[in-house]
Amino acid sequence: MNIKFVTGDSGMKRWFYQRLTGIFLAVLLVAHFTIMHFIGTGEIDYRTVAQRLSSPYWKTFDLAFLVFALYHGMAGLWVVIDDYVHKDGWRIFIYSVVVLAGVLLLIIGGLTIITFAPHVLLTFPGNM
Amino acid sequence: MKKNIYELKYRYHTGTAAWILHRLSGLALVLYLAMHIWVIHNLDNPAGFNKVMAFLNMPLFKILELGLWGVIIYHAINGLRIILVDFFGGSKAQKQVFWGVVVVGIIMFIAGAIPFVGHLVK
Repeated sequence: MNIKFVTGDSGMKRWFYQRLTGIFLAVLLVAHFTIMHFIGTGEIDYRTVAQRLSSPYWKTFDLAFLVFALYHGMAGLWVVIDDYVHKDGWRIFIYSVVVLAGVLLLIIGGLTIITFAPHVLLTFPGNM
Repeated sequence: MKKNIYELKYRYHTGTAAWILHRLSGLALVLYLAMHIWVIHNLDNPAGFNKVMAFLNMPLFKILELGLWGVIIYHAINGLRIILVDFFGGSKAQKQVFWGVVVVGIIMFIAGAIPFVGHLVK
């Protein structure tokens, strides 16, 4: 039962997707960090983020980034748990927490990006 | 006594250290990602977002951010090393690949650290 639960699949696809998303993330993350932290003043406030996030291109970039990062992170957690937690009850519990956390973070992050309204930029009083 | 078939035995080589560090940095990054998504979700409230960001612009967090850059570089560069070894026959030259990525990683870290320190002392 235990073994079947773990190794019902060979993990081959997971192994491949982890590498594929890893390459994407390496590129996206270096770009993200360079834009957010290396270029500009280093101070990040609402205006700097809103200017970028009002563009649909940046929304797409950030959304792809979010999905890849969450998938890669949760799949990584999955493998680590697979290596160290062997009791069925604990596995099911911890795996459930990982899946739930992943879905919750996807909803929170996805809503933040998708529903971000640029008109807030115009109505925000401190924005000159 | 029944032997635990899942018992993991690690032999310590450079590769083992790299692998353990990959796990630890990965766990740290997952934790950071969760906090990051939580902080950014304040974007629906401009004043609230600026308040949080003003707090996070403290020098302490800036220094932690440089640490984060280091963790990211490690995880990304070691990940690319794994891909080179897995897909491109890098296992034949894995020692050279290892030192190659160490050099690239150090250069990337310094390249990122320069603007960071510049912002800090400004």
